[in-house]
Amino acid sequence: MCEVFILKKPLSIVITALSAVLLCVWLGGFLYAVQTNLNVQADESKNTSQDTGKKSQAVNNEKDLKVVAVGDSLTRGMGDETGKGYIGYLTDEMKAKSKKPVIVQNLGISGQKSDSLLAQVKTYSVTRQLKEADYILITIGGNDLFQGGQTLVDFQPAAVKSIQQKYLHNLEAILSHVRSSNSGAVIFLVGLYNPFIELENGKDTSQVVREWNYKSAEAAAKQIKTVYVPTFDLFELKVNDYLYTDRFHPNSKGYRLIAERVAALLTW
Amino acid sequence: MITLSVKNLKKKIGKKEIIKGIDIELYEGEVFGFLGPNGAGKTTTIRMLTGLIRPTSGSISICGYDLQKDFTNAMMHLGCIVENPELYPFLSGYDNLVHFARMIPGFQSKRLAEVIELVGLSERIHDKVKTYSLGMRQRLGIAQALLGNPKVLILDEPTNGLDPAGIREMRQFIRDLAKNEGLSVLVSSHLLSEIQLLCDRVAIISKGAVIQTDTVHALLSSQEKMVWRVEPLQQAKQILESATEVVELEDCLITDFDANKAGLWSRELVNSGIQIIEMNRRLPALEDLFLELTGGDRIE
Amino acid sequence: MNKLIQNEMLKLLARKRLIVVGIILSILVVLFTYAQYQTVQTQLKKLGTTDWRTTLQQQIIDTQNRLSNSRIPDDFKKELEVRVKQQQYYLDNDINPAEPGAPSFTKEFMENSIDLLLPLMIMVIASDLVSSEFSMGSIKLLLTRPVKRWKILFSKYVTLLLAISLIIAMMGMISYLISGVVFGFKGWTAPEFIGFQITEAGFDASGASIIPQWQFILMDFGVVWFAAVVVGTLSFMVSVLIRSTAAGMGIILALLIAGAILSNMVSSWTSAKYFFMLNMRLTDYLNGSPPPIEGMTLSFSLAVLTVWWLLALFISFGVFTKKDIY
Ligand SMILES: Nc1ncnc2c1ncn2[C@@H]1O[C@H](COP(=O)(O)OP(=O)(O)O)[C@@H](O)[C@H]1O
Ligand SMILES: [Mg+2]
Repeated sequence: MCEVFILKKPLSIVITALSAVLLCVWLGGFLYAVQTNLNVQADESKNTSQDTGKKSQAVNNEKDLKVVAVGDSLTRGMGDETGKGYIGYLTDEMKAKSKKPVIVQNLGISGQKSDSLLAQVKTYSVTRQLKEADYILITIGGNDLFQGGQTLVDFQPAAVKSIQQKYLHNLEAILSHVRSSNSGAVIFLVGLYNPFIELENGKDTSQVVREWNYKSAEAAAKQIKTVYVPTFDLFELKVNDYLYTDRFHPNSKGYRLIAERVAALLTW
Repeated sequence: MITLSVKNLKKKIGKKEIIKGIDIELYEGEVFGFLGPNGAGKTTTIRMLTGLIRPTSGSISICGYDLQKDFTNAMMHLGCIVENPELYPFLSGYDNLVHFARMIPGFQSKRLAEVIELVGLSERIHDKVKTYSLGMRQRLGIAQALLGNPKVLILDEPTNGLDPAGIREMRQFIRDLAKNEGLSVLVSSHLLSEIQLLCDRVAIISKGAVIQTDTVHALLSSQEKMVWRVEPLQQAKQILESATEVVELEDCLITDFDANKAGLWSRELVNSGIQIIEMNRRLPALEDLFLELTGGDRIE
Repeated sequence: MNKLIQNEMLKLLARKRLIVVGIILSILVVLFTYAQYQTVQTQLKKLGTTDWRTTLQQQIIDTQNRLSNSRIPDDFKKELEVRVKQQQYYLDNDINPAEPGAPSFTKEFMENSIDLLLPLMIMVIASDLVSSEFSMGSIKLLLTRPVKRWKILFSKYVTLLLAISLIIAMMGMISYLISGVVFGFKGWTAPEFIGFQITEAGFDASGASIIPQWQFILMDFGVVWFAAVVVGTLSFMVSVLIRSTAAGMGIILALLIAGAILSNMVSSWTSAKYFFMLNMRLTDYLNGSPPPIEGMTLSFSLAVLTVWWLLALFISFGVFTKKDIY
């Protein structure tokens, strides 16, 4: 009788004691989590209250137009003397026409290729911003294809083919990620122009760019509310008038052309 | 010494007054019967006595401790089974007892073995309760009630569902407890015969009120009848009528029972040449008793 | 009190509920591990057969290049820095980031079970704790002891807290051990990013810092524990109020599922944020996922849960100590 008494008790005592220890551990973890996160929050509220309610007010307001631009140097506005880039002109246009306040987030990174854009849109902060956008603008692919002019200088169709395949793969992933994080916004995918059109093998390079654009447009068509915006024709005739001195990026005239084209597609 | 004292206990459930003012006192070493038909309010009263439900008014004190104000001390002196002893079926009998023993402040572990011995469950005590027969469960129930060395033991219909041997055993057990350990035992029942065999005193309860409290002996002797089956009937009736009140029922005569006179009367009848086929002491049926006590129709 | 808790533990263990919970969890974890394994495999296939180390090294260099670009926004920069550190850690510790190891699996498993699976497991224990005494009838024996009712209920509540702690540990152990067999047991010190803020102005990583993964997991478990305690307390209250264990479970189950549905719908019904169910996903605040309804913060959710918790405790004890036991 007594043995059973002794035999049975330890198990339940051990389990009880173990549970009690675990309880303390989890409680500690909880307090740690609360302390860490609420501390940060307290700091934050100090910060944000300093740089005024303008930002938060605006975002809070449901009637804002939120634009998020991602992509490469074109998004960044490289080559524009005024520094605005097509996003800047587009914003000006929107502000003029729309009654609503316009908020633009320019997340472009010069020199960015499709694989790193994919990584970028997948980060928490970018996903979060995409989620709230009404319009999402993308320029990508120029660096994949031209690699600073190298690809088309020593032109090799097989190499282009493989580059293009990787690019399309990334593009599809980018578009589907953007789409899944925000099902409502209109996505504009701005196409490529051929900066080398007036060089000696301009015909060949144009052929490649057209093919590239065609495939990009097809990728865009797979997603709903995703518009491919062609730019090839804009730069086709007087390319040097619209290019910056590096003969690669647009100048302010060129950017204005792109902005006008996108603006024409906006509806509100 | 008074171990349990109940004063003017009332309970209302909703608008219905189920217990309408009960007064009871229990003494050390006695078995007290709580007699009443189903639905009279026995269990409800016992639930109040054991702290399961709150009385609407009235006071309960156990060994001098008020149940409402000093619950812990009062319950230290009380052991009980309300309706069936619903022990944990998934634990062994032993674990059940350990479980309830742990809830008693200052429990001495040797008491455990004592109680098991007392109810005679030593052999099966380590089996799971779900394998126990009803009688064994009842005994285990009593064991758990006795764990804390209570002064008052309350049992609600303890023989319910037991077979005749089990009933006899239980009865003996309860009597021994009162006699050997000096417990006050309160036993409820709807069977007069059981109360008669078991109890020293009895309270009769009907519709939530006690109609009479008396010793079993006094109660029964005032109500016990004598049944005469005699030949010829009418002649015998005349003779008996000269001595006592007689009622004729079917082919019998019924008189009050009087131990001193019964012999006298029968001798008279025999001397008058009347043949006595059968003479019988008869307990009134419970219903009859109630009818009598509540002033209803007599047996006529 | 200690003895009362021992009693409740004795009953809990004798009924083998914890073992059932353990078995259910094991089966699910095996399932999820397999699913995760499949995902990893397809991912590896997609990335090609190239050595992941060179890819990773390349990524680190890319990211570092990007960091040197002064034009990128500050919060994004911060994130990139963390990414470099994470990637460097994976490289140094020979962990393929596509197969993240048991600690990461465990973390993710906990984060995903915080609002439904874990509450269900807790509910199995909690909703039975009091109501089973009623349905078995043993409550009459339990309450006719020289022990005040609140103490009895309190011992049951403490037992519930212990059981919750045990179940969470069990969950962690099971998921760590089972997934570890497949993904390896390493990764406890992998850097994790904390301090994301989802403010009204959008996403903000300026307060972010890096801690080793085990600390992050500890925090995860802490908030998971808190959420479980709140659900457990609510089930406990239902168990006090309702005799039937099954009906009690039904009520809690319905509430949890309603919560899961509500939080998935893009809800313009902002008052829904005062429901406890929508505040369960505390881990989201730690890892920076957006809350179901805009404007919800960690402190808000903690406040809401605490109110529900106190209310449930108050009702449980109030009712139980006064209740007539028929
Ligand atoms: N919970 C309850 N609600 C309403 N009436 C009840 C309740 N419990 C018992 N009663 C009523 O109280 C009376 C006494 O019941 P009870 O004490 O169980 O009788 P006994 O045990 O003497 O057979 C019965 O008429 C019964 O219908
Ligand atoms: Mg009864």
